[in-house]
Amino acid sequence: MNVVSPKTTPVPDAPPKRPFFDWRVWTVAIVLLVAVGLSILFGVKQHAQQGFFGMRLFPLKAAYDFKLNGPNGAEVRLDQFQGKAVLFLFGFTHCANICPTSLTNLTDVYQALTPEERKQVQVVFISVDPNRDTPQTLEQYVTSFDPSFLGLTGRKPAIDQTVLAYGGSYEMVTGPTNQPNDYSVNHSAYTYLVNPSGKLELLYGNEKLSDVRQMIADIRAVLREPRS
Amino acid sequence: MCYVFGEMLSSAHLKPRLSAIGYRLFTVALVLLGAPVVPAGDQPTVTVQRPWMRAVPDVMDSTAVYMVLVNTGSLPAELVGASTAIADSVAPMITTKEGEGLKQMLGMKSVDALKIPAHGTLVLEPNGNHLMVMGLKEHPKEGTQVDLTIKLEPGDHEIHLKVPVQKKPVP
Repeated sequence: MNVVSPKTTPVPDAPPKRPFFDWRVWTVAIVLLVAVGLSILFGVKQHAQQGFFGMRLFPLKAAYDFKLNGPNGAEVRLDQFQGKAVLFLFGFTHCANICPTSLTNLTDVYQALTPEERKQVQVVFISVDPNRDTPQTLEQYVTSFDPSFLGLTGRKPAIDQTVLAYGGSYEMVTGPTNQPNDYSVNHSAYTYLVNPSGKLELLYGNEKLSDVRQMIADIRAVLREPRS
Repeated sequence: MCYVFGEMLSSAHLKPRLSAIGYRLFTVALVLLGAPVVPAGDQPTVTVQRPWMRAVPDVMDSTAVYMVLVNTGSLPAELVGASTAIADSVAPMITTKEGEGLKQMLGMKSVDALKIPAHGTLVLEPNGNHLMVMGLKEHPKEGTQVDLTIKLEPGDHEIHLKVPVQKKPVP
């Protein structure tokens, strides 16, 4: 006789019941959550810093509020440009190679922006040679690149304080004739980008300025940042 | 031993190769004579490519000239100077870098000569080596041309150039 007992009938396809608190599942889930969280926290931050073409300063600090003289000798302070991105560099008008090259590149960058963006950007050229660069000379010089560019200079202590505050340096080098006005100026050739909140945000070596596409990408990113 | 080398050099299988090289040299010489270059001999064989002078605002008393000098000869050459009627003087300059990081200062320095290596080039370009034009008597406008003579050594050689005036290099 064949007696089939329901009790002994196996149910082969029934899944094994897992307890709700399976430590393996939970461990994996927690590790994944922490990993995703960390990568969002640091990854985004990292991306924001690496995403810039210029050298980004971190943490951002208020840019030194220089007080120099603009056209007609009127005082111009950096803080006057709050709400705008300011690109500035040091130089002198008797400079035949580096300064005109940087200014020509900055002109290309500036003119590649939309008219709306241009209203939010100010390019400033600071002469470290007030002996030869009068406000009038400077104005004619910078506006020949773009009418919106601003040339500033000042008395030596004000210039020195500004150069020092931005970590730069400069020195006069006597020319071959030994005449009082025959000298050249060696100077830092970085371009500094101050964001619309007045924080010094990005630095560019002079060689970088020719990359118009990357420069305007940086400027646009800075203009989009939330203001603090 | 000498006899052995002599025998090797004059051996039949080398002769065609030597004459082929000679033929090739002759062809190169013909090509060079046809090109607008400095005649060969004890003088360097230098050609100038893409010369341009930076158009500068009237308030500037100096500007710079850039170009690429190609030396096709087997002798090194030197750019030792230049002159133009529109300025007091023209001098070869190098860009100097002093210090590190933010403190790094860029400057320029007059040099007696800029070397153009044999079978090599000398690049004069913005931010780098250049011919500085000092004491401008006039300010040529963008789109015009300026006569400029460059001086090369050895051979006290001169090349006369018509240099276009531009705001930036032609891409």
